[in-house]
Amino acid sequence: MSAIETRPQAARQQDDLKRSTVWRRRLKSLGIGQWVLFALLIALALIYIYPFLVQIATSFKTDSEAASNPISLVPSIWSWAAYEQLFARSDFPRWFMNSAIVTIFVTTGRVFFVSLAGYALARLHFRGRGLVFAMVVGVMAVPGVVLLIPKFLVLNQLNLYDSYLGMILPLLVDAAGVFIMKNFFESIPVSVEEQARMDGAGAFRVFWSIVLPMARPALITIVILSFQGSWNELSHFIVSTQSPDLTTLTKGVASLASGQLSQGSQYPIKLAASVIMTIPVAVMFFVFQRRIMNNTQGAEKG
Amino acid sequence: MALRVATPLRGGSRSSGIRRGERTAGWLFSLPVIVILGVFLFIPVVMAIWVSFSDWSGRGSPVSSGVNFIGVENYTDVTSGGGLAEKNFGTAIRNNAWYVVFVVPIQTVLSLFLAVLVNRAVLRGRSFFRMSFYFPSVTSSVAITVLWLFLFSTSGVINNVLSWFGVNGPNWFNDPRGIVHVALGSMGVGTAPEALSSHGFLGIDWWEWLSGPSFAMSAFILMAVFTTSGTFMLLFLAALQNINPELGEAASMDGANGRQRFWRITLPQLRPTLFTVLTLGLIGTWQVFDQIYTGTQGGPGKTTLTPAYLSYESAFIGQEWGRGSAIAFILFIIIIVFTVFQRWVLRERAVSKRRSYNYQATGKKS
Amino acid sequence: MTSHISRRLLGAGSLLLASALVLGACSSSDADPTTSNAPTGGDVAVGDLTSSGDALTLLIGSSGEAETTAVETAVAAWSAESGVEATVQVASDLAQQLSQGFAAGSPPDLFYMSPDAIGGYSSNGSLKAYGDLLANKADFYGPLVDNFTVDGDFYCAPKDFSTLALVINTDLWAAAGLTDADIPKTWDDLTAVSTTLTTDGRTGLAFGPEYQRIGVFFAEAGGGLVADGAAAANSPANVEALTYVQSNLKNGNFAFSSDLGAGWGGEAFGKQLAAMVIEGNWITGALTNDFPDVNYVVAELPSGPGGMGTLQYTNCWGMSADSPNQQAALDLVEYLTAPEQQLAFSAAFGPMPSIASAADAWTAANPKLAAFLAGAQYAQYLPSQVGANEVVSDLNSQLESLKDGDPAAILDSVQGNLEAVIQ
Repeated sequence: MSAIETRPQAARQQDDLKRSTVWRRRLKSLGIGQWVLFALLIALALIYIYPFLVQIATSFKTDSEAASNPISLVPSIWSWAAYEQLFARSDFPRWFMNSAIVTIFVTTGRVFFVSLAGYALARLHFRGRGLVFAMVVGVMAVPGVVLLIPKFLVLNQLNLYDSYLGMILPLLVDAAGVFIMKNFFESIPVSVEEQARMDGAGAFRVFWSIVLPMARPALITIVILSFQGSWNELSHFIVSTQSPDLTTLTKGVASLASGQLSQGSQYPIKLAASVIMTIPVAVMFFVFQRRIMNNTQGAEKG
Repeated sequence: MALRVATPLRGGSRSSGIRRGERTAGWLFSLPVIVILGVFLFIPVVMAIWVSFSDWSGRGSPVSSGVNFIGVENYTDVTSGGGLAEKNFGTAIRNNAWYVVFVVPIQTVLSLFLAVLVNRAVLRGRSFFRMSFYFPSVTSSVAITVLWLFLFSTSGVINNVLSWFGVNGPNWFNDPRGIVHVALGSMGVGTAPEALSSHGFLGIDWWEWLSGPSFAMSAFILMAVFTTSGTFMLLFLAALQNINPELGEAASMDGANGRQRFWRITLPQLRPTLFTVLTLGLIGTWQVFDQIYTGTQGGPGKTTLTPAYLSYESAFIGQEWGRGSAIAFILFIIIIVFTVFQRWVLRERAVSKRRSYNYQATGKKS
Repeated sequence: MTSHISRRLLGAGSLLLASALVLGACSSSDADPTTSNAPTGGDVAVGDLTSSGDALTLLIGSSGEAETTAVETAVAAWSAESGVEATVQVASDLAQQLSQGFAAGSPPDLFYMSPDAIGGYSSNGSLKAYGDLLANKADFYGPLVDNFTVDGDFYCAPKDFSTLALVINTDLWAAAGLTDADIPKTWDDLTAVSTTLTTDGRTGLAFGPEYQRIGVFFAEAGGGLVADGAAAANSPANVEALTYVQSNLKNGNFAFSSDLGAGWGGEAFGKQLAAMVIEGNWITGALTNDFPDVNYVVAELPSGPGGMGTLQYTNCWGMSADSPNQQAALDLVEYLTAPEQQLAFSAAFGPMPSIASAADAWTAANPKLAAFLAGAQYAQYLPSQVGANEVVSDLNSQLESLKDGDPAAILDSVQGNLEAVIQ
């Protein structure tokens, strides 16, 4: 093999040569099967990506061009009118702010509460532990739609309706998150904590200073899932608020799409709104994509 | 020599030793979760059960003295009342059933297909493909619905592309015709056969049950497949990568070709993941709400009305809170029934006697 | 072991019981606002209205920017005069926000209320019947007052009314070689004219796929959903009307605005996807704002086998029974329904004043829109019994497939639903 023969002369150029030679050999040995496969994958990937490209392109078109030439990815006249109307002449900035507020509080809160509970269920022995765990698992089984009406009723009774508290509190804890953290904490060796306990640390100290820093990977998963979940949440905001000051992005864009506020078929402004709405989640996706795609599998199992 | 064995600190006292204060800590740590899950998930369910058995009209508190217990009236109104309530419920169930019938198989097969493809790709760029297939799943359903309304508009992208193939695309989100009816119509079966149209279930005659999803619902079906195939592809990918390649190699040495290897070796090992994907798919498709709320609000012609949206609409718009809660609980039961049924169908069955006899006869162990 | 389990169960059960009791206590301790000041009928004195320094909220279902701005300006002017703060909220879905607001105990003080919704809200005590307290009560048109009177109580002041008429694009009309003499007077005329106007990419006549527009044909055929207080949906006149519409839809000279890719008839008209539309007064504001280049003329709808017919729409200013400042709200309503204010609204977004004293001024100011007012003499309105709006929405969902449907079957199903609602 050329790779082995060139090794004694290990200069940087030889390494590159080795790599490209291996590559070329690989490519030659691939055969037609792999090329067909590759072409198929590229075609499918394009089908998946194209709608988003059209979305961005259309947000920069004029209304009439969006209607007459929907396919093209490059507007013939670049128009910022949609964005201008969104930011300058509508409540869009307010919606963005509301979504941001809720998401930040919910994500921070969830990380904290869910890891606390997960640790308690994994490591602390207390009577009723089984019951609490059963409750968490049971709640995961209830479909969201059943809770639509009753959550509204409860928020009403507690006087939390139409307030930031009402939007944030119910989302602060997520049963799936407790499950994830519990599984993670169970995988940490007990010896570390035992050592800290013997040194006289209380349960909270052990949790906060010893165990939590070790849980970074799982915590990042929780952060990602909470961010995504609360940013994209719709039905909870429908039932928990009615004041226009508390409208979030999801509710606002939904009303743009087909409420009485929707201006007929003005697509560029609707698509511009959905583009901006997608940006934060997309950024998070690209930054953490490796972790998201590896961890989803772990989270979904069982 | 008597060895003093330290008694393991199980049960009993928590007030001394390294496990002190653990009980308090345990409860304290779990308190936020218990309170919030209890107040905002558990209690609402209890309250909804009460409302579904009551005549609360939407003013004041549902547990106040003016609200009466009316038994199963809300439930019977919706399942056998004979009026619009029953008809709407039947329509909603029919629409959602067709949605499930199309979405779950398509998304399962497509995500498995994508996973197999991506798994086989040896060239660089595997993560690019994973990313592009998974990206639609992270976006909000509201954003995707807005995008879909644009793509599937009368002279939108999809109809433009279809026109390249000479097909005149329908006015997707405004077309209430069921695709099965349209297909039957093109084959000459234009009107309902007498037997089907004179009997019905839940206020809809059987011919209408067979109408298939409308074009509007079909657009939603495509959207569901688009946004969930990525997530399930990742699940299948992880499972595929955990499969031991030796089994496949052993099979090919025994003379199995690619297809046999896939169906007899790979697929059975994917059973747990398949099971997860199907369960998640069933649970998710029966609850479709966000897209309907944002996009069509049940139209055109009530063909995108789903039980979840009907529950919301009856309560929040029609002020029929009891009926809305009843519909939600019936939906809950439907989901449980489907999940349990699917578990039963896919359970590990003991090898039948005949099969095991075959293996014994040839001396091989199964 | 068993004592362990039973202790757990006991714990869970008592937790559940405790929470249920707490909830019950929480709610019943709230003073039930409905008992204090909701008279159910008979003579109502001004003293029955609540009064406080609270600001007022109005919830409106706007037809567009023109209407929103007009209402906001009017309310601001009143605020300055009276010293009471008031805010206007535009609903994205009026029915849902109203229902949710009432259920949550925080409804707006004043809101648009339509005749089909009034049955439900009046029956559960949500509305304050202030009609008899209005200073200008005698000025409102009789039929409009009837629309908002339930069980003898006049609930709310009609804020305006509109009828449907035929709006014609004069440029396209002239380009097709038609003149004023060709304005359709009968159904045959309408068929002929719309066929002439139908070209590639443009339909002769468009309207929304709903009873709220198609109903004019029912009226012109001498039918209608309700006749003499009884359900009459499947009368031969109605079947004739639907069959007429269906045949024209199949021929292509009529079209649903949704099939043309427009959100409503006005948009189809403004984008010149249709040469004529059946729409109401509100189209004028939308056309001025969004499509100022389209020249149009308004004509009365043609008469059918049963004579002239059209539909009438009106909304009132509903007042919530829970409002803490009903006196100020009443004052605001009187301000908003005064002649000057109604004429200003009309100029801004089109509807006709609901008071007789403004009729002459309106006709003088809007000679172009005389056809709308003429329609008031033979207009029908939608049934307003409790549950009727659900029947109408069901009819609408069937009308969306009118092209391939069976008019008689559609109307039979509506008849069944309507009979259940009208006792």
